Amino acid sequence: MKFRPFAILMLTTLFISSCAWFPSVKEPSYQLVKTWGGKGEASGQFNEPTGVAVSKSEVFVSDSRNARIQVFDFDGNFQRLFGEPGEGTGQLGRPMNLTVANGELYVADYFNDVIQVYSLQGQFLRAIGRAGVGPGEFNVPGGVAVAPNGDLFVADFYNQRIQQLDTNGTFIRQWGTLGETGVWAGEFNYPTDVAIAPNGTLYIADGYNDRVQAFSPSGEFSHKWGGPLAMNIFGSFNGWFATVTGISVGPKGNLYVADFYNDRVQKFTPKGEFLNAFGLSTKGATQNATHTAIAVAIADDGSVFVADYANHQIQKWQPGEQHGR
Amino acid sequence: MKKLILLTAASLFWSATLFAAGTQYNLRVDGLACPFCAYGIEKKLIKTEGVESVTFDLEKGLVLVKAKEGMTLTEAQLKQLVDDAGFTLRSVSEQAL
Repeated sequence: MKFRPFAILMLTTLFISSCAWFPSVKEPSYQLVKTWGGKGEASGQFNEPTGVAVSKSEVFVSDSRNARIQVFDFDGNFQRLFGEPGEGTGQLGRPMNLTVANGELYVADYFNDVIQVYSLQGQFLRAIGRAGVGPGEFNVPGGVAVAPNGDLFVADFYNQRIQQLDTNGTFIRQWGTLGETGVWAGEFNYPTDVAIAPNGTLYIADGYNDRVQAFSPSGEFSHKWGGPLAMNIFGSFNGWFATVTGISVGPKGNLYVADFYNDRVQKFTPKGEFLNAFGLSTKGATQNATHTAIAVAIADDGSVFVADYANHQIQKWQPGEQHGR
Repeated sequence: MKKLILLTAASLFWSATLFAAGTQYNLRVDGLACPFCAYGIEKKLIKTEGVESVTFDLEKGLVLVKAKEGMTLTEAQLKQLVDDAGFTLRSVSEQAL
């Protein structure tokens, strides 16, 4: 009998933990309103889209295996394309996650180990970084975020770190240990993307740790989420991940996370509280519903654009009526 | 005699076609989780002499390496390249194209 209080305590703890680890949906479902693309090399077609970003009126897509960027209006009408395969100035190897910031497009170039910067019209402006393991060098940049002052935050995928560089590419600081993976706070396991909130909080898609990590504007670890204890425990429950490949901040500061193996985007508050999940896997799709969400971007009106790797297309989703963005 | 000539011609034609089309190596790789890692293997392989193209099948965990015409790749060579990319090569099978 003396174990009874202990058992009750354990059960209560387990129950509370379970509630935290299996959250319910807090919003009406998002609706898929449009898709466009399809596999090919023609304008408006894609061969493995891996990144997406939005400006005030346009959608930019990393057409990865075609080594180019394509631009559309918010209804999916083709506008223009730029970039060509190669290793030279302004040429693209394998463009990945994108960011639009300060009127420019930032492209993480996987094969060329640089961040390429273009005007929104497609004029090449500059390249930042080079291949390597030193400060300001990259071994596969997967994604980039840009602060209002122009500082860059780069997910340095194979180097297992996040680098902060100034606008000229000069190293400022890093998170993570060069070349070492880990599951504790501040450690990474192939980080794929980065996003920065208006208040300066840095959010990192910690790819194979199946979690998101957040750091304060001063650089201190703040919080993390993704499955029990956010320690590389993957799954398909709400709030859990199975390989995180992209992250974006919405206009209200909420986080949208591309959950690759679960074929969905998950939406969270800035503190990491689960709000919603949506994707082709939840729609009874007739299309290929595997590997359908690799990157995500959010327009000011709350529309969510998703790079659908498997179907070589872009999905456009809109929020339910009672909640927003 | 006529049959022999026809047979020889057919064999030569078949061989030439096979030779011209090259070989595809199907690599079964552990931990091929998403394009981020698959592209890493591709990045290593595509710079290798004799490799024409690299594609992959994430569902099956396969990397498909097409060799250039008349070129061959050894299993040891492929294993080293996959190792360098941070993955483990489980098996290799060859397929004439």
